[in-house]
Amino acid sequence: MDTDVTEDQRALLDVSERFMGQTCPLTVVRDPEARNGAFLASYRRQAAELGWFSMLVPEALGGGNISGNGVLDAALIAYKRGGLLQPGSYVGTNVVACAVAAAGSDELRRQVLGPLVAGEVSASWAVASADANGEPDGGVTAEVTADGGLVLNGAKTAVQDVEPLSWLLVTCRTSAGPAQAVVAAETAGVTVTELDALDISRRFAEVRFDNVAVAPSAVVGIPGAIADLLGQQLALAAVLTAAESVGAMDHELNMTVEYAKDRIAFGRPIGSFQAVKHVLADMSLAVEMAKAVVGAAARSLGDDDGYGEEAASIAKALVGESSIELAQNCFQVFGGIGYTWEHDQHLYLRRLTTDAGLFGDAAWHRERLCQLAGL
Amino acid sequence: MSNGTDIETFRQEARAWIKANLEPRPKASATGRPDREASTPEDIARARVLQRKLFDSGWAGLSYPAEYGGRGLTALHERVWREEALDYYTPDFGVAGSVTFGAIGRSLVAHCTPEFCRQHIPAILSGDEVWCQFYSEPEAGSDLAGIRTRAVKDGERWIISGSKIWSSGAYLADWAMCLARTDWSVPKHRGLTWFAVPTNAKGVEVRQIRQINGNAEFCEEFLDEVEVTEDDVIGEVNKGWAVTQTMLVYERGAGEMGASMVEPRELAPDLVALARKVGRAEDPAARQAIAKAHINDYAQYHLGHRIADRLRAQATPDPAVAAYGKLASGVLAPIRARLGMEVGGPAALAWAAGDEDGGRPALNYLNGRVTSIAAGTNEMQRNGIGERVLGLPREPSFDTNKPFNEVLGAARNWNSKVG
Repeated sequence: MDTDVTEDQRALLDVSERFMGQTCPLTVVRDPEARNGAFLASYRRQAAELGWFSMLVPEALGGGNISGNGVLDAALIAYKRGGLLQPGSYVGTNVVACAVAAAGSDELRRQVLGPLVAGEVSASWAVASADANGEPDGGVTAEVTADGGLVLNGAKTAVQDVEPLSWLLVTCRTSAGPAQAVVAAETAGVTVTELDALDISRRFAEVRFDNVAVAPSAVVGIPGAIADLLGQQLALAAVLTAAESVGAMDHELNMTVEYAKDRIAFGRPIGSFQAVKHVLADMSLAVEMAKAVVGAAARSLGDDDGYGEEAASIAKALVGESSIELAQNCFQVFGGIGYTWEHDQHLYLRRLTTDAGLFGDAAWHRERLCQLAGL
Repeated sequence: MSNGTDIETFRQEARAWIKANLEPRPKASATGRPDREASTPEDIARARVLQRKLFDSGWAGLSYPAEYGGRGLTALHERVWREEALDYYTPDFGVAGSVTFGAIGRSLVAHCTPEFCRQHIPAILSGDEVWCQFYSEPEAGSDLAGIRTRAVKDGERWIISGSKIWSSGAYLADWAMCLARTDWSVPKHRGLTWFAVPTNAKGVEVRQIRQINGNAEFCEEFLDEVEVTEDDVIGEVNKGWAVTQTMLVYERGAGEMGASMVEPRELAPDLVALARKVGRAEDPAARQAIAKAHINDYAQYHLGHRIADRLRAQATPDPAVAAYGKLASGVLAPIRARLGMEVGGPAALAWAAGDEDGGRPALNYLNGRVTSIAAGTNEMQRNGIGERVLGLPREPSFDTNKPFNEVLGAARNWNSKVG
């Protein structure tokens, strides 16, 4: 994705790519039975050994990255993951680890960070809700207790890859404003219900909270005063999700170009027809542009250069729109074969469309961009 | 002044010289481009004086070879210079400037003899020679290799006849780089030759063309038995297509890509001002349009850098890679212009007589498709990317292997059974 990859980054990407290709090729991705709990746990631990979950955690707290820009390192991995539609809560785990490292209590850091970095458990960010117009604190309300803890009520949806031992970072609404807490998925009062979803390469759940009591030490940030923290989380989730999408876009376009060279109609490869060739050229431009913008956003956010949140929203909005466009166009070039279950095209269509809507869709990030600019 | 290539030293030296010698101008707009381009002979005369000052002090042609009056530095030095000079008046030759110092100057250095370069390059860098392209023809645009202007050898002279069009700034230029057919008995790409033609030579007539925006920077030319010499041949006789390939890379902006711009961080300032003016700053539809425009600007800037990086990594810059930048601009510029009309609403359709500011969205709208068509249409860029980057096969062609003197006749008799 980045034209300027260091040798260390290259080595990490190569070994990560080998791991994914061997452990979780598309044959596994498309088979939910193969991706059972034992598989995911083993996958997670191996990924952790490669450093996938340490990049947004400072060294002093047991993390570390390779280039000095953890967001960029994580985005490069995300790009590779996206190409092979990898499962597991990669974005969620990194966002939660980053948030806890930045604003968690010492107790919470001790409890959560080690296991996350080591891949013993995963974490998901419970942020989306069905009827909150994209506001991250929608769906769940919280009462602040006398000791500074929270009592949660309500539901979040489209929570990604929740496993029995997962940690959930819940963004919720208090009378003082948005607040956050880390809750174990097995806590009493938390109900995780698996949902049917467009994207079959991952799992999505509704998570209900019925009078879930949260200890003060598990509250992340000060209720009503988490705007900056939330902005950072959203930006990180946006960049990593967009990077996964760029990987998937790149992979799907390559598949489609190969098909356009192989498929013969009217006595010649269909890719020779300008009606097909021009669509593919436009999609190739879309991929180049997405790479340029996501790379720039990752650098900006990781270097903390004062424009990271804006750049992240730009990247998410741009990719959110062009990825769906690309998936649709590739489907059209494949024609009828793309409508069959056996073909991989639909896995990419499902993934790209889903990623475009997670952590804010294109329109939401465009509005956010206006607000960040003070308009 | 040091001859070192150390970029920070260079920046300091440039900054000091600029501060001492150039006149500050009002803060540059977000694009870094002047509001009004040079368009009169008086503008050019002023630009020549300033260019001479730069040349005499060693600040012209930074990345041109030192033996021809340049400094032999890198594209990065050029960029640093532009960054430092952004808020000062620099020589403005208008559209003739980018053509002269970009596509033409670079192509001449790449393909001409040392004698030719010694005659022309220092003259270009000092502002004495402004150049233009006699390139497209009324009957040949995208199919550039299909041009019909002819050059016939007569002893030591070449006699050129034909007509040219879309020559940016030709009415301001001293010389033209002219493409002519020198062999009609071979297929189209193999019989082309480039010539240096003085625009005041006998038989050259230059006319300005009035454009849809009311300006007249484009010209058409009529060449009636124009005489040039063997010394005026650019590159080799009948091998003009190789020169064209070099030129295309620079035409597509590879040489200057993203260079004079800084990363756009301010939310589409023109559209924000427009939305406030028409009272739509709170309108969700206008806000979406403004954000789209800014994302568009940001994406073009970073794509430019990505493409420039990719081109720098290649031994011979590939015009097909440069095509990404050109296509991005050709696709995004019209969208950007339409967003202005969208935000402006009725106020962008009609405005107070003479109100330049009020008329700007409409002007931008009319100019929106320039980069989709000029210097290689979007469709040509898509072919270049599709065939030379993605490796997709070409459409069947009816003229690539046919002697050019048979092509027109065969085309007139073309029917769906041919091929």
